[in-house]
Amino acid sequence: MESTLLALAVLIPWASAAALSLADGRRPLVGWISVAGLGAGFACVLGLTFLVLRNGPVETVAGGWPEGVGITLRADALGVAFAVVSVGVILVSLVYEVLGGVRSRTFPALVAFVAAGLTGLFLTGDAFNFYVFFEISMTAAYALAGYREKGYQVRAAFIFAVINLLGSVIFLIAVAALYHVTGSLDMEVIAERAGRVRPGSIISIATAVFVAFSLKLGLFPFHFWLPAVYVGSHPPVAAILSGALANIGGYGLLRFGADVLPRELEFGTAVVLVLGGASIVYGALQAVSRHETVEVLAYSAIGQAGYILVAIGIGGPVGYAAAVIYAVVNSMNKALLFLAAGTRGPLIGAAFAVGAFSVVGVPPVAGFVGKLAMFRASVEAGGVALTALIFVGGALSFVYVFQVYQRVFWTPEQKGEKVSPPPIRALVLLLAGLVLAAGLWPEPLLALGEAAARVLSGGPG
Amino acid sequence: MILILSAVIAVVFGSGAFLILQRDLFRVVVGIVLISNAANLFIISAGLTRGEPPIYPLLEGATIADPLVQAMALTAIVISSSVAALLLSLVYRLYVAHDSVDIEDVSAAEVREAEALERDEDPGRDPEREEEPRGSPGDVGLREDTR
Repeated sequence: MESTLLALAVLIPWASAAALSLADGRRPLVGWISVAGLGAGFACVLGLTFLVLRNGPVETVAGGWPEGVGITLRADALGVAFAVVSVGVILVSLVYEVLGGVRSRTFPALVAFVAAGLTGLFLTGDAFNFYVFFEISMTAAYALAGYREKGYQVRAAFIFAVINLLGSVIFLIAVAALYHVTGSLDMEVIAERAGRVRPGSIISIATAVFVAFSLKLGLFPFHFWLPAVYVGSHPPVAAILSGALANIGGYGLLRFGADVLPRELEFGTAVVLVLGGASIVYGALQAVSRHETVEVLAYSAIGQAGYILVAIGIGGPVGYAAAVIYAVVNSMNKALLFLAAGTRGPLIGAAFAVGAFSVVGVPPVAGFVGKLAMFRASVEAGGVALTALIFVGGALSFVYVFQVYQRVFWTPEQKGEKVSPPPIRALVLLLAGLVLAAGLWPEPLLALGEAAARVLSGGPG
Repeated sequence: MILILSAVIAVVFGSGAFLILQRDLFRVVVGIVLISNAANLFIISAGLTRGEPPIYPLLEGATIADPLVQAMALTAIVISSSVAALLLSLVYRLYVAHDSVDIEDVSAAEVREAEALERDEDPGRDPEREEEPRGSPGDVGLREDTR
């Protein structure tokens, strides 16, 4: 039963993506079929999450091969946490675009491919399979970034593709090197054998993995491609890129850093903390100085990625739980802010404000839970500097999100400005309600984060 | 053998990295292709074994060559070739739009477009809201829509 659900969660987005690529996505019917397909996939992932939280990890070997030979699909708390939020964000973005009218025949299929790749990536237990799924979702995202096919969007998509391909190649080399030194591609086996490898070779592999995922996540010295891509893209696409795709970076760092190569992560703690801190400060300062909404949000994404890195650097059950909770909350915030910034009409300002409060971390919205977890981790780590850094980052984020709010929602209404249709507004409000609800009733989020941290600290998930 | 292979991989990767840093976008694509092929070579060299072909029935007691690296390299080749095709199509789009594949020409053309837009702007409009959608709801960041 559980393994069927696991297989279905990976297969349903796949099948719908393959079928949709033949259909004309501009027709509303096709759009709604894609929503139904993705909704079914989301339901499977959600069901899986409940099962994993109740009974522990679910594992199955694809194709009926004996264990150790076939490719393992493994759903543990860490994987399902990221899968649920990513597929959820993609689903909301797809509904948003379908309600507004899809303008390209490939859009629904590409979105479904992104979802299929992401689900597979979060639920696989095999390092090379991880790379394949990762390439599938990235390739679909390269095409998505150039969605409207305007000149600068195509240029942004090109830059996005080249930089991320470089990251993928570095990751691929790291996977091959891991195979060479451990003789296996299964993540559990690699984790087990990595301790016996000569430290010199495994450190260079760990560095390659770190660089690859930092590129995806858009951390400070690797961030240069990120603003151009977000500024060029359409709101739902930006929501998918920053709310779902950027999760690959956070998940990859947690899975390969904390789970597979924990000793190497510990060895590099100083580097991780310094880069994370630099990201927080740099992203926030750049965001404060920008004027365009999308640009502010893009730099804010760099800063938020820094928090996740700092939490990973702190490590331990509290740090990992904070990283997972923060990543989940951040995805929801980014999706809400990008979609709300692209919508006009009554109550949208309120929805944006909910997202803005969530970025800052003001109770009772979800961001508060994330910030609280961060503070708890930093206090536990005993670093006054870290706590101060998180506080400064939060204060700066208050400045930039409310600058945006003031510029966009406090100016008098323009003539010729169109109010978005009610279903789109209702959707954005629903998302805002979700962010609010996650803050008012944070137990599921906290339970998910703690279960994921237990997986990483070696206990049963 | 290992030395030769590593030298080859280094040279291929290095040339690819050099090409990525060029202004000509077509060279950038070629650079990506070279780098992904360096990765493919690396995969093959990660499991360099000599032995009988790994086909059932296996010979008793014989050393069997590692089939897994071949499978990985094949997958990686398929991925890199399809991604190269996607990149080339993006370059072609840029060429059609700007009549050039040089990144500086493309950027200059974009700056000119943006300036032309600003001149055409209605003076009563707030410049910070220049990206307001006219065509449809939910479009932010589409300068060309306001033309």
